[in-house]
Amino acid sequence: MMKTFSIGGIHPCDSKISKDCRIEVLPVPSKVFISVAQHLGAPATPVVKVGDQVKVGQVIAEPAGFISAYVHSSVSGTVKSIGPRKDLAGNNMTHIEIDVEGDEWVEGADLTDTLVTAIPEDNKEILDRIKMCGVVGLGGATFPAHVKLCPPPGKKADCLILNGAECEPYLTSDYRIMLERSKEIVVGAAIMKQVLGGCPAVIGIEENKPEAIKAMTAAVSELQATAKGYDGISVMTLRKKYPQGGEKQLIDAVMGRQVKSMGLPIDVGAVVQNVATSLAVYEAVQKNIPLVTNVMTITGDCLPMEKQHNYKFRIGMPLSYIAEYAGGVPEEAVKIISGGPMMGKAIANLDATTVKGSSSLLYLTAEQTVRGVESACIRCGKCAEACPMGLEPFLLNKYARNNMMDELEENAVQDCIECGCCLYSCPANIPLLDIIRLAKGDVIRIIRGRGQK
Amino acid sequence: MNKILVSPSPHLHTKTSTKSLMRDVVIALLPAVVVSVLFYGWSELLVLGVSVASCMLLEFLITKYMLKKPCTLGDWSAVVTGVLLALNLPATTPWWVVFIGAVVAVGVAKLTFGGLGQNVFNPAIAGRVFLLISFPTYMTDWTKPAGFISNAAVDAYTGATPLGLVGEGGVEAIKGLDYLDMLFWNIGGSAGELSAIALLLGFAYLLVRRVIRPYITLSIWGTVAVFSGIFWLINPEVYTDPAFNLLTGGLLLGSIFMATDYVTSPMSNMGGVIFGVGIGLLTMLIRYFGAYPEGVSFAILIMNSVVPLINKWCHAKKYGR
Ligand code: SF4
Ligand code: SF4
Repeated sequence: MMKTFSIGGIHPCDSKISKDCRIEVLPVPSKVFISVAQHLGAPATPVVKVGDQVKVGQVIAEPAGFISAYVHSSVSGTVKSIGPRKDLAGNNMTHIEIDVEGDEWVEGADLTDTLVTAIPEDNKEILDRIKMCGVVGLGGATFPAHVKLCPPPGKKADCLILNGAECEPYLTSDYRIMLERSKEIVVGAAIMKQVLGGCPAVIGIEENKPEAIKAMTAAVSELQATAKGYDGISVMTLRKKYPQGGEKQLIDAVMGRQVKSMGLPIDVGAVVQNVATSLAVYEAVQKNIPLVTNVMTITGDCLPMEKQHNYKFRIGMPLSYIAEYAGGVPEEAVKIISGGPMMGKAIANLDATTVKGSSSLLYLTAEQTVRGVESACIRCGKCAEACPMGLEPFLLNKYARNNMMDELEENAVQDCIECGCCLYSCPANIPLLDIIRLAKGDVIRIIRGRGQK
Repeated sequence: MNKILVSPSPHLHTKTSTKSLMRDVVIALLPAVVVSVLFYGWSELLVLGVSVASCMLLEFLITKYMLKKPCTLGDWSAVVTGVLLALNLPATTPWWVVFIGAVVAVGVAKLTFGGLGQNVFNPAIAGRVFLLISFPTYMTDWTKPAGFISNAAVDAYTGATPLGLVGEGGVEAIKGLDYLDMLFWNIGGSAGELSAIALLLGFAYLLVRRVIRPYITLSIWGTVAVFSGIFWLINPEVYTDPAFNLLTGGLLLGSIFMATDYVTSPMSNMGGVIFGVGIGLLTMLIRYFGAYPEGVSFAILIMNSVVPLINKWCHAKKYGR
């Protein structure tokens, strides 16, 4: 029996149209705008001044708190300005503008393709490099990676789970790196596993990606046969179901454990990292390359095959530049998504620039994405059947519309992971998640407020 | 590209809509409709036509002129009620009785509660039960009108339903019934009960299309089979056997199409099982010990009223709790 998470889930159409497009490297534009808020937590503080010369990989902003991350320049050139600029949602955020001159990297960065399999012995040094290289989780939440890799005192990791599920429709960037950078990902996994005290590492991949399963399995066996420190790494095939890549769902699928409400994965001995994060860890620790690039998918049903791409981009590239380079925004597109169609964000501003966690430009047509007219709840229970957290969205919707905070908390609105399964499934087109999201925010504020008293 | 749309996630939506679900229920009912029309001919066509037309007309008029709400005719739920009501009546029912049934189903049971989604009782069952109480003679007139084709098994037992026969003459009266025959051509009874195979075909379609979950239906069958099995083993001279109880008295029609009505059944799977067991028990209690020879409609109505309570106590298992 193939494993999967035990509660709810849906099966939206896979639509991995760009899965066979090899990763291409985007040329560097003449100018980049690098945001200081590319991670979960406090925005970083700029440490360069206008007029400074910077190299690729040089620190340009420092963490401003425990949960924060370094930001590096993705190009070489001159700092032109530091100031507010609109991000993809249209909100102002500090960006560092750099005029590109040449492509000169900081010293120590190893840009060769040689695979480095020997893992440094000193865990402290490893963690330091991960932190100094600005590695954050690339599966969506962009949580600083080194924080997750240092379990708080008294907690121990029983399993490192590498998330290769890529359960969102359309996205293929993780799939491509699993095919093209398999060994690097496995080295990254071995590094993280060592830091966590040698717990087993499981790479979870959904069944609809047989080539990725094959490539990763082969990479694991090869490294186990030729190098030290690779025992206890395995690939696990998971049944296809959305949201398999949700942290809580993946822990349930792989370990058969469930994180308590408001708890953290480490409470049940789990650490989850995306395969792309693992690659970033490899580059940081083995190659001394800070996180300034990532892979994104350009896709959509309204794009012809030759305009489907998987691009290696540098952070700070304007999305409009990438869209133009890829052949322009298609006529039929009414919505452009950054991220997957289930949890990604609609882009309000195509002048916004790429960040560490950028994963796609997804074009959706009106027919695909415009919601139908809302009608009465027919109590079909499909939303509850779909909810991977076992919540009852129809009930939360009712309570939220009547501002019933106690009932909302009793019925666990705070556990909602905003996966969108409920809204996706509702035949009456009720905007369940829109309403639940607001209520969740309110209830969490109430719970936090209580804790402080 | 003109203007970019910005709205919260998710950005995709299932193709399933209220309308497509209701239409699927109608499709699932088609085999039963075809069989009933073939066997009961013009009179069944008339019952079906009057029932569907009056349900749709009432839905339209009431939502538009009395409730002044957006018209819900397009969601196909009135068609479902119309077809179900017709299949729940004998083919000989006069048109005006059918119309009264539609008034009770759509006008009273559905729209006075606030329309689709708000009603407590299944509209078609409410209509049928009202007619059963108000017009017992019409509702138990099982003479077989001339159909387009005929079958000896059907013709042989005109005049009373099998359950009615048991009511009058005890188990003796149904000796010699061929169950295999009943699978295909049930005898007497309301038009929709004619062919078990046709109804099961509909059930399979609903399951495959994921319109309904099987829990409610299966727990009704299970309960009826176990309950009647025990009594039948104790005394086969007095009590009818499980196969007979499963195949007659509208049990299939009710358990597949009416007990599973979204609005009037529990939300959770656990709730569905409790609901189904309740219907099964009540049906058998009414059949064995009650005044009416058949009990499915009453059982469903009674359990409909308990649904809010079941929903209150049965919740799905939550993650990590
Ligand atoms: S968005 Fe929240 S309520 Fe809706 S299905 Fe996902 S977890 Fe459940
Ligand atoms: S899916 Fe929509 S219609 Fe069905 S119970 Fe949930 S909210 Fe109601």
